Amino acid sequence: MSEQVAFQHIEKTSLIGKRIKKPDAPAKATGKTRYINDMVLPQMLYGKILHAGRAHAEIISIDTSEAEKLAGVHLVVTAQDTPELRLGFVKDNAPLKNKIRCERDEVAAVAAESEAIAAAALKLIRVDYKDLPGVYTIEESQREGAPVIQERFPDNKSLKFEFKAGDLAQAEADSDIILDDTFNVHYVTHCCMGTSCAIADFDHNGKLTIYSQTQYPYNYKMDLAPALGIDPGDIRVIQPPTGGSFGAKLDVYPFEPVAAILAQKTGRPVKILFDREEEFINSPTRQPASMHLRTGCTKDGILTFRAADVEMDNGAYTSWGATVPVIMMRTTSGHYRVPVVDFKGQAYYTNNSYAGSFRGYGNVQMTYATAQHMDMLAEKLDMDPIEFRLKNAQKSGEYTPQKSYLRECALAECLTTAAEASDYVAKLGKYTDDRKAQGRYKRGIGLASSIHNAGGAKIHKSDGCGTILKMDDYARVTVITGASEIGQGIDAVIGQIVSEELGVPVEHVTLVNNDSDLGPWDVGVHASRTTFIAGNGARRAAIKAKKQILAAASKQANVTAEELDLRGGFVVQDKDGAVVTKLDKMLRQMHFQPEPDVVMVSDYYEPNSEPEGRDHISDHSAAYSHAVHIAEVVVDTLTGEVKVEKVTMAQDVGRVINRMGLEAQMEGGMAFGLGFALSEEMLFEEGRLQNPNFRDYKVPTAPEMPEIEMHFIESDCEEGPYGAKGIAELPTIVVAPAIANAVYNATGIRFFNPPMTPEKVARAIWEKKNA
Amino acid sequence: MSEIERYIAPTELAEAVEVLGHGGVTIVAGGTDLTPQINEGRRSYDATLMNIQRVRELKNISLENGEIRIGCLVTVSQIRYSDIIAEHAAILCETANCFASDQIRNAATIGGNVCNASPAGDMIIPLLVLGVSVELASWKDGAMQIRREPLNKFFTGPGKTIRHENELLIAVVFDQPSDNFVGQFRKSGPRPALEISTVTVGIGGDVRDGKFENVRVAFGAVGPTPMRGTVTEAALEGKTLNEDTIQAAVLAAGQDASPIDDIRATTWYRNHLIGVFTEELLNNVCQN
Repeated sequence: MSEQVAFQHIEKTSLIGKRIKKPDAPAKATGKTRYINDMVLPQMLYGKILHAGRAHAEIISIDTSEAEKLAGVHLVVTAQDTPELRLGFVKDNAPLKNKIRCERDEVAAVAAESEAIAAAALKLIRVDYKDLPGVYTIEESQREGAPVIQERFPDNKSLKFEFKAGDLAQAEADSDIILDDTFNVHYVTHCCMGTSCAIADFDHNGKLTIYSQTQYPYNYKMDLAPALGIDPGDIRVIQPPTGGSFGAKLDVYPFEPVAAILAQKTGRPVKILFDREEEFINSPTRQPASMHLRTGCTKDGILTFRAADVEMDNGAYTSWGATVPVIMMRTTSGHYRVPVVDFKGQAYYTNNSYAGSFRGYGNVQMTYATAQHMDMLAEKLDMDPIEFRLKNAQKSGEYTPQKSYLRECALAECLTTAAEASDYVAKLGKYTDDRKAQGRYKRGIGLASSIHNAGGAKIHKSDGCGTILKMDDYARVTVITGASEIGQGIDAVIGQIVSEELGVPVEHVTLVNNDSDLGPWDVGVHASRTTFIAGNGARRAAIKAKKQILAAASKQANVTAEELDLRGGFVVQDKDGAVVTKLDKMLRQMHFQPEPDVVMVSDYYEPNSEPEGRDHISDHSAAYSHAVHIAEVVVDTLTGEVKVEKVTMAQDVGRVINRMGLEAQMEGGMAFGLGFALSEEMLFEEGRLQNPNFRDYKVPTAPEMPEIEMHFIESDCEEGPYGAKGIAELPTIVVAPAIANAVYNATGIRFFNPPMTPEKVARAIWEKKNA
Repeated sequence: MSEIERYIAPTELAEAVEVLGHGGVTIVAGGTDLTPQINEGRRSYDATLMNIQRVRELKNISLENGEIRIGCLVTVSQIRYSDIIAEHAAILCETANCFASDQIRNAATIGGNVCNASPAGDMIIPLLVLGVSVELASWKDGAMQIRREPLNKFFTGPGKTIRHENELLIAVVFDQPSDNFVGQFRKSGPRPALEISTVTVGIGGDVRDGKFENVRVAFGAVGPTPMRGTVTEAALEGKTLNEDTIQAAVLAAGQDASPIDDIRATTWYRNHLIGVFTEELLNNVCQN
């Protein structure tokens, strides 16, 4: 054996930037994956929730006696059975309700032998309501004497955020141009392919195991416990494969404690699974907002200030939606050099549905406004649109007014790369000229850009991630990480990084990350952070393991550890790749000796960032990144249909890690933005959703996807793994305003209120023509 | 949901029609409308559920003695790829091409689309343009009886038709269109698939010596039933298709249609699209 390998040399190669297959892809593509939705536990009961279906009402009485008598029903619960349990960001929510504040409200729940029996039982519950006057808009919520939604908030005001920098009055005086517009962004929802599901199971010691789709298992325990009146330590979270999250599972929502309450009281596992209509009505939305934006600049094209007054419909309860100003203000203050900033954000309670976290978190909304203002300013200035943006683009090493440190800033490179690749400036001019010509179909091109945190976001006390790595006697590696896999591809990335460091095949790395009793802490999948944070953690752990192995090997080979490397399953000489020994053999030798030396390492990576803080002046992410999208559209000026033909993207990704995963994130993220821009909209009438189905809530389908040209700018982030930055949210953030700018270029009409549906576009064109 | 007491899957047409005569029967063919309607609680099952999919003779498309016959179980996909239809009634292929999605097209039947009588039923529009009749079979005095009714008299309201409970719609039939026939279909919506129609317009007729003759116009989703546009037809019949004729037809189309506001579109937009599509289709006819 050793004879055979003695003369072998293994070259140093790298997997970084290569295309790595997602390990669960074949099973998912062939239907083999068992999602949480498919799970059945022995003795499991099926839970179902009676939702109010009305927006604002008092509950006069509930009669559950008929439902309880139905054969196969084990339990019916109401708020009467679960007093004083609270949940939500400001604890204004409860698993089951005494009073109805929105359509979604949970009135009662049933546990039964089958889903059909549970559904039949719901129909037998008699509830007497007294409907109350409702509040369905921000204006109605602000009105003197408006009905109060939450007794603890008698003025209907929920969360408030402010940030100011510089002298606004002076900046206004110094401005030659001031734009003043209000942008209203609408309700959309995640539409995860896997509908919401939870399975709760208590053991005899009172410990809850909850099978959950959550994307933040560790803090989830802290949020779920008060809704059950148990200790967070008595909760174990297991995360089976989930059909998408995108921010929807970044909070605890009532169905989860309801499943647990039913399980606790029946002593049986209880599963709650939404059907699609329940999913539409009872899931979080993206935070809608009315954004009054003023932007100033000098006649030389230098930005002087941005002032944003953002009002948000909080809905009936406060989840993460109402916190989005935290990111909105970073874009307002930090995207392009904005010397003076005045940002206000206020959420108002209404009887509408409530928003949660959603990919692009606040920045989808704010960039829709800021990127259109940049476009409008360039036109007003009659300045080359790229030159205007470049004048205001920050360079590496600059700080924003909120003290975001743009250590590696590739905004200028993103702008010039995308503009050159798409021939943006020439096309923009040509299509502007073509606008006046006859013809039904008009072409347009539009550019938008934004900034986003790309190294986590320290909104909790820690933004870290724990990793435990062990190697067995056969050189197989197990990585236990706190980072959750919700489809985004951290499974492939960690395999790749560990493989890179330890010189083992990717297939020899097993990831364990679905059980909170095993995994070390992680803050959760959000803020485009997982490759950056968990990737760094996995890399650091792997480097520790490598050191340990090379130290042992150096003794054996009588060379220093620095002269050795791990490649292709062997310990080799670093300089020429000459094989020293097989890695598995080395590990066995380390293990089976009088003083066993087994590879079991751990790491807790805390990114180099500062807590957000109440004043919002902090370098809250370990990295920031920019993206530019250029959309090319064709508008049918008669039907109003907007076809996006091509999107050219340039994004600062720091460094490409898994190219395949990165491309998929760009495509998928863009699809979310495309739906937001053109077709997706939740239509509410007096707080009730009118289109809870895919027939009338129009998610883009495959043929609607444009051609995508991607340019990855590698700025080599000092803090990121191999130089990588977080990437997942920018593609969702930037595309909608690029489309809006392109539609303007094609038609001369600005759409301040997305989505740009065929009817809205046709009507605006018709009105302009017939004005 | 009521309980199904009996499931029956006859192989002979006569048996199916006889069973229907006993009453209390829900017919299932493709199931693409029935299933969601049951799930949404808009319909319930009768005591007998009769699956007619095994009646082979209802699955054929034929051309005999100048008459084209499409059996009620012919799927939208079959129509899409049928040589007879492509050659003589391409407007049906065109419509099939933008009907729902591949999966639905493979299951949905022409009989089901007609009997569901949705104002937005896509296949109905080209059928109206082709002037089809439907064949309704019933059991009487120990034998099967068949009556023919023109499709434009078939619909009485949303989901409502003149078909009696004991009747099975077994086929749609129409005269082979002349070699001069030109048919055009247009459906709203930017999606190439999975779009429920906001407005559909179909126009067909014979182009002879520059004149448009035997004109049939049909509109979908603009009234309580799919409908023929008689005012528009009158504005076009025997006319030379020029800008004036087309503009007159656009105005007439506005008189034919009586659309409503719903979550999919406002009355304004539907009226607007009817005009846009009528003009577009007539321009296409001109180019042909």
